[in-house]
Amino acid sequence: MIKCENLQKVYPLKKLHGYPALKGLDFSIEEGEFAAITGPSGCGKSTLLNILGFLDNPSSGHYLFRGRNVSTFSDSERSHLRLSEVGFVFQSFNLLPRFSALDNVRLPMLYLGTDSDESRVKAAALLERVGLADKADHSPLELSGGERQRVGVARALANDPKLLLADEPTGNLDSKNGVEVMALLKDLNAAGLTVIMVTHDMALAKAASRVIRMKDGLIEA
Amino acid sequence: MRLSESLRTGALEIYHHKMRSFLTFFAISIGVISIMYSLTLTYSMSTATKNALNVAGHGRMLVQTRRYYQETTSMDKKEARDSLTLEDALAIRKIFPDLPMVSPLMFSGVEFSHQDFNDWNGVAGITPEWKKRGWIYKVHGRFINQHDVDTYARVCVLIQRGGWFKKPQWMKFYGWTDEFQGYIKHNGLLGKTVRMGDNLYTVIGILEEPPLEKNPKTFLDIEEWEARILVPITTMQRLMGNRWGWAEEGGIESIQVDAGSERMVPVYKRRIEKVLQARHGGRLRLDIKDFGEIIKTKLTDKHRTMYIMMVIGAIAILAGGIGIMNVTLATIYSRIKEIGIRRSIGATRGDIMMQFLIEAMLLGFFGGIAGILISMSGIQYLASKGDTDMMMVQWWMPLVAVLFAVMTGFLAALYPAYQASKLDPVEALRYE
Repeated sequence: MIKCENLQKVYPLKKLHGYPALKGLDFSIEEGEFAAITGPSGCGKSTLLNILGFLDNPSSGHYLFRGRNVSTFSDSERSHLRLSEVGFVFQSFNLLPRFSALDNVRLPMLYLGTDSDESRVKAAALLERVGLADKADHSPLELSGGERQRVGVARALANDPKLLLADEPTGNLDSKNGVEVMALLKDLNAAGLTVIMVTHDMALAKAASRVIRMKDGLIEA
Repeated sequence: MRLSESLRTGALEIYHHKMRSFLTFFAISIGVISIMYSLTLTYSMSTATKNALNVAGHGRMLVQTRRYYQETTSMDKKEARDSLTLEDALAIRKIFPDLPMVSPLMFSGVEFSHQDFNDWNGVAGITPEWKKRGWIYKVHGRFINQHDVDTYARVCVLIQRGGWFKKPQWMKFYGWTDEFQGYIKHNGLLGKTVRMGDNLYTVIGILEEPPLEKNPKTFLDIEEWEARILVPITTMQRLMGNRWGWAEEGGIESIQVDAGSERMVPVYKRRIEKVLQARHGGRLRLDIKDFGEIIKTKLTDKHRTMYIMMVIGAIAILAGGIGIMNVTLATIYSRIKEIGIRRSIGATRGDIMMQFLIEAMLLGFFGGIAGILISMSGIQYLASKGDTDMMMVQWWMPLVAVLFAVMTGFLAALYPAYQASKLDPVEALRYE
């Protein structure tokens, strides 16, 4: 599903040389895998996740997503890929506080142009799936951390993505909620969704079917 | 994203920032108010000009002598001057038989009395050609004819003013009652004998004006003061003299001429001037104005008001626009995170730009609506106080004003929205 060839990312700095965040990665991830990317802070795992999630372009190298080389896609093409092909789960949830849980989940559907009523039904079903059917009208501010993250997962699933990207999904949660969210991700993976998770917690990484260890912009194993 | 959703989001943002939105509405609505006022005034003036020319005919001009107060040097002011005479009018009539109208006019004032009623009134001395100048009357009895003029007949025609269909409120409070009008309305004077000055006159006709709403003259305001009693000009010369006008002893006030068409006005202006100067040996200080000119002079003041209002309006709208721009820019800084979130779930640059534009246009729209509500009630109020210009408000004016407000929002938000759309999603997402 994903194939990276000599993937490099250099962040431009003010003077002369840029900062190399990724120094040439070669790896591939198959459909249906649950991959965990681990490594110490600053090793480039978030940068990699941003590139895998079409938020950023690599400086050089190729990123093949389902057979297409997306490393040279324009901003609007990448926006469309983000909208329809991947779902993001963030460490800090990144929900819109002024919108209800339901509207947060609906948002990606609305950007895709889904009919308003249809999106309501679908969002309600997604919230039910993550166990929040009764909290649909609540603002994220009225929800607990675990509940917020489950809304985040529901939103990530809004447009039936092929790939779910999770950046430290349990980082802001207590252990009980963390376990629940992990269980949810595993369920989704079991149902056929490809999941890539970034974490520095080795205990969590063990739950994944595959662990990619990174250090200083390179893959260790 | 669908428009309805964008509108909902925008409305939500406006609702959540009440004070900020209120201030923007305030500035925008002041702009809209002055736009409404200037629009109404402009429209009223152009319609008035058109109506005036239509009623008067496009070939109308007014021949009179310069009044001493119009002279610039004291020598000119003190110089003895010739007056226009009735004979001048007759000569013009004779030399240019093709002219549709040559109507000499003279003013005087007399004490009008009938039985116990007494009132000082203005009188106009006229010839039968008078009725060619915008006839809007319903005539009871008959009008003054050439025979009356030729025989110095002691006859008069009274003009009865039209009433209001719906009396404006100011009339109820401030309107003085015109006793003369009240008297002739309720005491069928047709055929009766009345006394004016030292002589008795027979009322041979009463001219009834249409209701004021239907009377183009109500909205014109271009005619000079109008006498409500008409007598043959020769009768006036013999029995009253020109007591209320500007003319010198033995002269007449003015001659109204219709050249037939606008094209012929300059031609006849030259010809008439030549004829008159020849008759007066060049001693006549003539002042021939065509109606277009007169109307223009009358409208100059209103133009000035209008320009002032327009400038105020433009400044207010500009201030509102800058307000929107400022607010949108500030909003963007406080919503970088939101922009990042929206971008990360798949919003394109266009989506982000659209969102901020729609929000600003909504601000403009609501501000515009507020302005319309205020200005419409203001205009209603002015109209009820008798401001005839404000009665000319048209249905499309609020639309234009609101459109203007929305456009202001759009233009003001263009740059900030572009800035927002340019944000890097990764950076924006990391922003706290």
